Amino acid sequence: MNAAIELKGITKTYGVGALSFQALKGIDLTVPQGEFMMLVGPSGSGKTTLLSLLGCVLTPTSGQASLFGERLDGRRERDLPRLRLSYIGFIFQGHNLLPALTAEENVAFPLLLRGYANAAAHQEARDVLAAVGLTDKFKSLPEDLSGGQRQRVSVARAVAGRPPLILADEPTASLDAESGLSVTTMLKKLSTERGHTVICVTHDNRIFHLADRTVFIEDGRIVPPPKRLDLSL
Amino acid sequence: MATEVAAGRIALAPSGPRAFAQPLSGHAGFGKRWRAMSAIGVRMMFHDRLKLLGTLFGVVFAVVLSNFQMGTFLSLLGKNVMFVEANTDIDLWVTPPGTRQFQGGKPLGDAVLNRARATRGVAWAEPLVLQTAQLQLPNGGREPVSLVGTRAPRFVGGPWNLVKGDSRSLEAPDAVIFEDAEREKLGGLNLGSVRELSGHKVQVAGFTWGLLPFAPAYAFAEQGLAREILKVPADQHTFVTVGLEPGADPLAVRDELQRLLPEVLVMTRQQYLGEIRHYIITGTQIGFSFGTSTLFGLIVGLVTVALSMFSSVVDNMRQFGTLKAIGATNFDLARLLFVQSLVYGVVGSLLGLGFVTWIAQVSRNPNLTVILPWWLLAITAGLMVVMCVVASGLALMRLRRLEPAMVFR
Repeated sequence: MNAAIELKGITKTYGVGALSFQALKGIDLTVPQGEFMMLVGPSGSGKTTLLSLLGCVLTPTSGQASLFGERLDGRRERDLPRLRLSYIGFIFQGHNLLPALTAEENVAFPLLLRGYANAAAHQEARDVLAAVGLTDKFKSLPEDLSGGQRQRVSVARAVAGRPPLILADEPTASLDAESGLSVTTMLKKLSTERGHTVICVTHDNRIFHLADRTVFIEDGRIVPPPKRLDLSL
Repeated sequence: MATEVAAGRIALAPSGPRAFAQPLSGHAGFGKRWRAMSAIGVRMMFHDRLKLLGTLFGVVFAVVLSNFQMGTFLSLLGKNVMFVEANTDIDLWVTPPGTRQFQGGKPLGDAVLNRARATRGVAWAEPLVLQTAQLQLPNGGREPVSLVGTRAPRFVGGPWNLVKGDSRSLEAPDAVIFEDAEREKLGGLNLGSVRELSGHKVQVAGFTWGLLPFAPAYAFAEQGLAREILKVPADQHTFVTVGLEPGADPLAVRDELQRLLPEVLVMTRQQYLGEIRHYIITGTQIGFSFGTSTLFGLIVGLVTVALSMFSSVVDNMRQFGTLKAIGATNFDLARLLFVQSLVYGVVGSLLGLGFVTWIAQVSRNPNLTVILPWWLLAITAGLMVVMCVVASGLALMRLRRLEPAMVFR
């Protein structure tokens, strides 16, 4: 099976000189295609930086990184938007839907950037929204949706067009327990059915059981699973 | 999901080996990106209606202020040139040396008049008398008028825009034509009213409409009467006006006349108009004052749009970060801001132009008419759109520095 992600000796340093700060200190990680992986770590552990690197919104300071065989290290910043469009669907902590657009338009937007015709983008958006159970909310603005519904739209936006990698940043953080579990279960189901690789950063131990694998990160390094999980991570 | 599979849009995991999602190769071209970003930009604008209204108000204010100022300035300019502009039958103006406005100076003698009449290419030359006279009001007060003495039977420089009477009315004894819009101010004048003008009894023989220069309103009398009223001798003239023979070259005749009369100033009609306008713009505070306020109006528009768009970007930083994270480039965001600024500029300009045109209509009166020629409206609208686009540069600078990684924080 080909690897979706391969990281070798990845470091990321912010700033220079005495004020510099090393957020990642040599990350080695391989994620096979189709895996549903959870990334867990305390605040300041480097998981957001790692997610940003995987999301092609940051480039590493050193080390080798590849996404579906395409090298990320040494990339110019202007190449990154194309990589994001080609490979990645994002689910953000606060859903980050555009408030001026309807659910359907929010889902269709990345598809339009990917070159879909307008009608095809909207058809795909409606299909995916139906798949996440929002058949009657196509024309709703985010402000008219509940938190759980917004996050479902966010999931639909991420999987629409079927990008190979889904990155989810604390997808349950702003949801109650039931909604959080429901959204993550739905994401798991969709990713299994559609063949997405998913990396999900979370603190929520109630959804850990959905992961194919859970990776722990602490102080910029991947560490073995703790013997007793501290829920205040 | 069954329907999706049937439609061939979403591939389900087959029962055999799993089919993994593959990298997406397609990307929107130039036109599609423009359409996508334009649509989002406009939707974002109209979603935040308060900010939209605030920004449009700034643009409308700038357009109204700058047009009103320029329109008023053009009106004042028009008042100063109206006499020269309206008397199109006068080809050349012979004036005292140093003349830069439509007002008299050192009187011109009969020698000037006779030399003009004897010059080749000149069809006629007529003296014109212009001075301020005082009209005695029934209540005891006085009001000044700019009394023009025009000679029968040609009546060059005579009354125009007549609403009562005609030039020949001036041939009646003591006949004077006054400005209709000043009738009340001049003591309730009516046709046939008898008044005292600088100590001379006159009778109202007609009315003009809108002949209100920057100086007191024009009044017209036959030259003989005007000279009596103004106590100007028959051999002294304020101006000498010249009409050319058909086919004569105005510039050549002017040059010849100027050569023959070096002690006076000879100008074509266009030169005189240009001289007056140039003097008003550069030689008085009027040009500076109106120019400054017009500029301030435009600056207000620029600053309002720039700050509004900048604050819109700052307020919606997370949205823009999301757009970047999803795959929008800096150029895509520039497209979005460009379209927004274009909408602000075009909609604000149209509203502003409509509003200022309405103001100009309702405030129209003989004393002040805001002149809004099409070129002024077009220039203002064009300038405003350009300024809005320039103003969006501030917001774009902020967006260029925005790291999409902020959406993960």
